[in-house]
Amino acid sequence: MGDDYPTLFRSEQMSLMQFLIPTEVAHDTVAELGELGNVQFKDLNPAVNPFQRSFVGEIRRTEEMTRRVRFFESQIQKEKDVVPIRPLYDSAPLLTVGPSAAHNIDELDVTLAEHEKRLVQMNDSYKTLSERTRELVEARHVLRETAVFFEKAETQHTDIRTSFDDSSAPLLQHDDREQQYSSTVQFDLEFIAGTIDRTRISTFERVLWRVLRGNLYMNHTDITEPFVDPATGTETRKNVFIIFAHGDALLAKIRKVAESMGATLYPIDANADKRSDSLREVTARLEDLETVLYNTGLNRRSKLLKIGENLARWQDVVRKEKAIYETMNLFNFDVRRKTLVAEGWVPTRDLTMIQLALRHATEASGTSVVPILHELRTSKTPPTFTRTNKFTEGFQTIMDAYGIATYQEVNPGLFAIVTFPFLFAVMFGDIGHGLIIFFAALYMIYQEKKWAKQELDEILGQFFYGRYIILLMGIFSVYTGLMYNDIFSKSLHIWHSGWDFPEPGSNGVSYAVSNGHMYPFGVDPAWHGADNGLVFTNSYKMKMSIVLGVIHMTFALCLQLPNHIKFKRPLDIYANFIPQMIFLQSIFGYLVVCILYKWSIDWSTRDTEPPSLLNMLIAMLLSPGKVDANAQLYPGQSFIQVVLLLLAMVCVPWMLCMKPYFQWKEIQMIQGQGYVGLNHHNGGHRESTDEVLESEEEGNGRVIVEEMEEEHEQHDFSEVVIHQIIHTIEFCLGCISHTASYLRLWALSLAHAQLSEVLWSMTIEKFLGMSGIFGTITLAIVVVFWFSATVFILCIMEGLSAFLHALRLHWVEANSKHYQGEGYLFTPLSFAKLDEKE
Amino acid sequence: MASIIPVIFILAVVLGLIACGYLFVPKGPHQTTIRTAIMLTFASCYLMWMVTYMAQLHPLITPYRSIKSGESL
Repeated sequence: MGDDYPTLFRSEQMSLMQFLIPTEVAHDTVAELGELGNVQFKDLNPAVNPFQRSFVGEIRRTEEMTRRVRFFESQIQKEKDVVPIRPLYDSAPLLTVGPSAAHNIDELDVTLAEHEKRLVQMNDSYKTLSERTRELVEARHVLRETAVFFEKAETQHTDIRTSFDDSSAPLLQHDDREQQYSSTVQFDLEFIAGTIDRTRISTFERVLWRVLRGNLYMNHTDITEPFVDPATGTETRKNVFIIFAHGDALLAKIRKVAESMGATLYPIDANADKRSDSLREVTARLEDLETVLYNTGLNRRSKLLKIGENLARWQDVVRKEKAIYETMNLFNFDVRRKTLVAEGWVPTRDLTMIQLALRHATEASGTSVVPILHELRTSKTPPTFTRTNKFTEGFQTIMDAYGIATYQEVNPGLFAIVTFPFLFAVMFGDIGHGLIIFFAALYMIYQEKKWAKQELDEILGQFFYGRYIILLMGIFSVYTGLMYNDIFSKSLHIWHSGWDFPEPGSNGVSYAVSNGHMYPFGVDPAWHGADNGLVFTNSYKMKMSIVLGVIHMTFALCLQLPNHIKFKRPLDIYANFIPQMIFLQSIFGYLVVCILYKWSIDWSTRDTEPPSLLNMLIAMLLSPGKVDANAQLYPGQSFIQVVLLLLAMVCVPWMLCMKPYFQWKEIQMIQGQGYVGLNHHNGGHRESTDEVLESEEEGNGRVIVEEMEEEHEQHDFSEVVIHQIIHTIEFCLGCISHTASYLRLWALSLAHAQLSEVLWSMTIEKFLGMSGIFGTITLAIVVVFWFSATVFILCIMEGLSAFLHALRLHWVEANSKHYQGEGYLFTPLSFAKLDEKE
Repeated sequence: MASIIPVIFILAVVLGLIACGYLFVPKGPHQTTIRTAIMLTFASCYLMWMVTYMAQLHPLITPYRSIKSGESL
């Protein structure tokens, strides 16, 4: 193209380059190109299943590393005290290119595995220790509580002894005597002690009572502190119970029931000394465990801190490696020359940069073999790449959301930089509100650098992304606010008004008198507050909407011309552009001219009444040639209107027939020369003569197309005709409906003005008259309420609404006049973009 | 009396400004963007001003106000 600089007018010119990369340099080359972010690699192995590709092993390894890094991240996030993660720009670099790269990656793999193993071990031991602690705490409670029972029982010792004596058989007298020599406190009712959930204790008691038929004595107390489950954090309250029963069978039953109800049994000795020994032992073990637990916790935390130092760097490295190997999987391995063959789309302008990058990669890796780069000629459509900066990015994105521009067609995003904020402002026009959103945008731009690094939440992120759009919207809104003479629903009296209001007449109505001045800039403030102010404003705004709308559509239509010229489609200029322009102008362009003409005439000096333009247009279409002399706008009107109507009517068959006719003639010509179209192709059989003719006639690209995936022109004549019919109907009906659609410019600005006025009159106006300290305070409160309603309802809600409608006007009304939008986006391998995707 | 002359005069001024915008923007990577933005801004602002001015040149209705008690201007 020979252009020095890229422009936003068209997408960049792209070339398909073939890279021959020696295998040793492959990893480093791809890393370098990824840092550059300028190459979109094609998949040269589309038929290969992902598990059979060459670098599956490396990808698996990087997946393992990613998993480990994610595990660390989740562990760090779960910590109650925040573990700081050192940000990426502050972390120590890790070389992933050059001769030491492979060694570094292996080391990283080993380090990650080690850290993971250590961390998992620590987590497990922490868990086991916590469980052990819990058990010991329960045991301690059991010991304490049972001590209380036994002390109580001691006092009733004699009663128990007597009952025992009665039931004892002669066989037991021997035991009896023996026990008399042992400690006096001992009595041999066997017991079972343990803990159980508080919620279950009553059921437990009832079940036991039923099972043992009342042959038991059970006592239980609450444990005051709840137990916290370390894994889930839930609290459970437990009770200590002790059951006295006699006989092995009964005890066995009790044990079974206890187990089934989820109670934990603890072996308690009947002997008080032994019990106090156990208590001491349990306490000592508990202390030990607590120390160990504390140390494990400290250890774990220090490990996490160390991990936190490097985590960002590891994440970055692992992500890049994965991207590099995935890209390398797209390459073709040429066995003969031991090189990898890659194909990719590159902006032609950046070719020298790519070559420099390749050379840099070879130097860094230490080999002397430079990858070879050469251009491939192809008829495939390249991707669409528009070079944007932080200012134009927002505008380009909102236009791209409708559809990506076809390769090198005129980019509507360029014009949207001004037309979009302008049409927004026509619907939003208020100086005060415009200033509010202007300052909001200014603040966001001021904080740009800081906010770009942070993770903003979804809504704020959207507003931040469009900060430059909002800035321009604000500026234009101030201008249209000046035009509408509206600041927070009041008008400004900057210049001399053109109307004077005399004293009101007998009916209390004051009719303004023109004083010869002309309010030079904007709507005269006399209309504000006038009873028929809306009549004037509505007429003015509606006509303005039509004027702006027709001009916007004409402008969009004219954008077809550069496309037709660039893609060498002269037929389209004569068959599409010219009839469309004539049709649009002869009806709606005429309407605009009439509006302007009617405004420029001083009707007080004319004999005729000013005609209604709407009726005039309808009459022009329904009863052409008949213009009432009393209601005519200018002499000779009927004749001109008939001519215009005929012109418009001629355009319809012109649009319908011209292009299909010429395309039909072309098909005849091609077929006459003996070529066989692809549609008649059966199973790929070709005559030999075709190949000779093919090589001679390179110009007739359509027939020589080899690749099946490419979109080729339809030679089917019926398709052409149908396409043209649809196109014609769409355009003609669209003209009318789109022109009416621009009336939303009026509708939204009316709604905005009315809302603003209602808000003022319902809030501040009612409280302005109040005096005294109470009045001032209420006024202050009302002002705060008014301001927040202004910001939330009028600026944000109305702003979003106007944004949406302005966008619709661009997408439907304007783009349908010229935009094809059939391209695909240029998605290069870019490490910077990887961050955004995460 | 208000006349149509200012409209034509300002049109000439704006066309001149647009021409300046086209000619005097320095070459650089943003030349097209700046040029288009300046030209479109002048054109659209002029259009809106022109429509507002012409709508009030020879108005077909006169404003009237019925003064109700206690109403502020």
